[in-house]
Amino acid sequence: MRRPGFPDSLFRLAAAAALAMAAAGSPATAQTRGGELIVVQGSNPPSLDAMTTSSQASRNINMNIYETLYGFSEGVKPIPILAEGVTISDDGLTYVFTLRRGVKFHNGKEMTARDVKASLERYRRVGATKNLLDPVADIAITGDYEVTFTMKKPTPTFLEAFSSPRAPAVIIPAEEADAEAGKTSFTGKGPYRFVEYVPDSHVTLERFDGYVADTRHDGPDGFGGRKTAYLDRVIFRIMPEPGAQVAALEAGEVHLLEQIPVPAARRLEKNPDIRLYENMPWAFLTFILNIAQPPADNPKFREAVQVALNMEAILAIATEGLYQLDHRWQYPGTTYDPGDIGADLYNLGDTERARRLLKEAGYKGEEFSILTDSNYPQHNKAAVVIAEQLRAAGINAKVKMVDWPTALNLRLQDSGWNGWTLMMGIEPYLGPVGLIATLTSPARPHFVKPDPELDALYQELISGPTVEARQATFRKIQARLYELKAIIKIGDVGLMQAARANVKGFRPFRFPRVYDVWLEE
Amino acid sequence: MLRFLTRRLLSAIPVLFVVSLVAFGLMWLVPGDIAAEIGGTDATPEDLAAIRERLGLDKPVWERAVNWYGALLQGDLGYSYLLNRSVVDAVIERLPVTLSLAGLSLALATLTGMLLGILAAVRHNTLLDQGAMIVALIGLSVPEFWFGILMIIMFGVWLGWLPTGGFVPLSEDPVGWARSMVLPAFSLAVSQMGVIARMTRSAMLDVLGQDYIRTVRAKGLRARGVVFRHGLPNAMIPIVTVVGVITGVLLSGAVVIETVFSLPGVGRLIVGAIQRRDFPVVQGGLLVTAGIFVFVNLLVDVLYAAFDPRVRDGRGG
Repeated sequence: MRRPGFPDSLFRLAAAAALAMAAAGSPATAQTRGGELIVVQGSNPPSLDAMTTSSQASRNINMNIYETLYGFSEGVKPIPILAEGVTISDDGLTYVFTLRRGVKFHNGKEMTARDVKASLERYRRVGATKNLLDPVADIAITGDYEVTFTMKKPTPTFLEAFSSPRAPAVIIPAEEADAEAGKTSFTGKGPYRFVEYVPDSHVTLERFDGYVADTRHDGPDGFGGRKTAYLDRVIFRIMPEPGAQVAALEAGEVHLLEQIPVPAARRLEKNPDIRLYENMPWAFLTFILNIAQPPADNPKFREAVQVALNMEAILAIATEGLYQLDHRWQYPGTTYDPGDIGADLYNLGDTERARRLLKEAGYKGEEFSILTDSNYPQHNKAAVVIAEQLRAAGINAKVKMVDWPTALNLRLQDSGWNGWTLMMGIEPYLGPVGLIATLTSPARPHFVKPDPELDALYQELISGPTVEARQATFRKIQARLYELKAIIKIGDVGLMQAARANVKGFRPFRFPRVYDVWLEE
Repeated sequence: MLRFLTRRLLSAIPVLFVVSLVAFGLMWLVPGDIAAEIGGTDATPEDLAAIRERLGLDKPVWERAVNWYGALLQGDLGYSYLLNRSVVDAVIERLPVTLSLAGLSLALATLTGMLLGILAAVRHNTLLDQGAMIVALIGLSVPEFWFGILMIIMFGVWLGWLPTGGFVPLSEDPVGWARSMVLPAFSLAVSQMGVIARMTRSAMLDVLGQDYIRTVRAKGLRARGVVFRHGLPNAMIPIVTVVGVITGVLLSGAVVIETVFSLPGVGRLIVGAIQRRDFPVVQGGLLVTAGIFVFVNLLVDVLYAAFDPRVRDGRGG
């Protein structure tokens, strides 16, 4: 099925990618043990202490080294990984996690309840998303292989939040639990173990021969499942220059690119030595308004912005063609897909209507400063197109481009900016709770001024006792986001990946899973 | 000579102090900090405050300055917020890459640049002169990143003769080291070669027009002797100056070539630290860079003395 706004050549590319995926995942190919896989990514992992960072560059590597009690399945449902399971009391106040037995850390020690408690207590101190344990009043060791969480109040969405891979609540040996952030020995218990990290050069992993696979599954399932390490070594090479990455792949010096520029993918479409993998949808592209400051404090002005924007034009330029038009604040076909709500306000590009709305808003040509950064091309390209479209509607839009750390700091100030372009990668994947938490209290909403109605809906969402109840709440949230117009959904963005044809078993996911991948001789 | 060296070394202290002050001040003035990088997009002001407290960034600037200078006096350049190692270790780790790249490209650029410059000067206003200067001009004008990518595509992808990037330590595999260095060193040398060639030509033309050159020619000395015995040594002062500047630049990191060829050198260390606001690495890295420049300048001064007896004897010049 062709998606709107998806150019022909890319559609063919996607079809080729799908075929490649089918071929790569074919069970007819015999798995080969051994060899060295070289994966390329553009930036250094800020840390290999998994619980302390929410960076994608870290997650790419860490999720092959560490494991969590619970994690998301391929279908984004919480599944036990290091846990045997969980028993939740009827009142929702007690969670008893039983642990898998015989599971070993990379240092050879068996994992027990002591390690779990110590790791989670460390997460409360140094975890990058430590607030996910806020609902937990106490963690107690109730057996050698059992830990019990006592909750402050019933939180039906707790297990989903606890399974989040964003800054994963990984289990490490208790002996390392007192270590400051980033100061552990990176000992996990995943199928690969850490060997060496040379910043700006590489991270080396080796197969962990003591890995105890989860035999409840037939193969990998999301972040969990039965994992098999076929490769002797995996090297994550840090190569910042995309042109050099592609050249290295073509020359056969590296095996897998975590991300390949779309034009390069188009060029390699017919190269028999290279397979392309499309990860769609990968992220939301959004445009955030500062509703604490004029002119975007005026709902009529925000409506003018919403109707002025032609999302297709923005996406085509910002993503180099790899996008899908989508008005929804959850991906299509997922559990919380809100349907058509808001579609009537999406991708209108109606300059005349925007002009009328600006007149009604009493807009007098005040400067509208769009904050963006030079580090992420999608952000700054989108900002330029948005500014052009808003200027065409009569808004005095200016692009303010700074580097990423500066943008992150500026957007935390109440004034000095009016709009901000942001790609949300992991948040939409985490489901509605992870996404809406960034837009509501007690966090500081991205659009600065909290909206009491949205805050109330968030509370309703996290306390919804059943999936059906939460789905109903999310539909209300979708409607409220389109009423408020404080954050504007531009569309869904994809991620193109590429591998040498002899890399088998690779399936695109939220991180490059190097287990169950082998090299064909 | 010893007094000369001592005087020059002592004069480096205020230079290094000013550099450290500027590095510290700039990092203090620049918007954004490491807390935003660590906290990410969803960090609340409270999260950022907690990170700043953990890293000591919440302390008043004078207290941070006192702590930094206190550690500096004990030879401690600080500890990186992100690299999980001391700044000294981070720099030392990168030195083999930077020294390899700088050494090879400098040797290549100096040899070819001087050769082209001498040829152009000796055959002044001929096709050879024009050809040599066109080569030098192309070297100067071609952007390093473009030339580097071109080299990768040609020799790495099409011909498959050399690796497309990465660094192999000399101690691990000398052949691998040489192979990994050819393309980056050549790509980097091309633009430096252009600078040296033009400077050599200009200095040589100046010298070859002097009266004493006419005299040695009149004495019947062969052309080779005129150029290499009487011409080149007297043209060396400006050439040494420009080679000295290039050496300083190369030793402090060739960030573009390091990026294109995925080399973990000093340049990428410092630029990456600036981008992520890893203040200790920026401050320590800039100080080391300034130290390199001071050392190279000293070396250049010593070479001046070697080439020009007037400098050696304190007669000016």
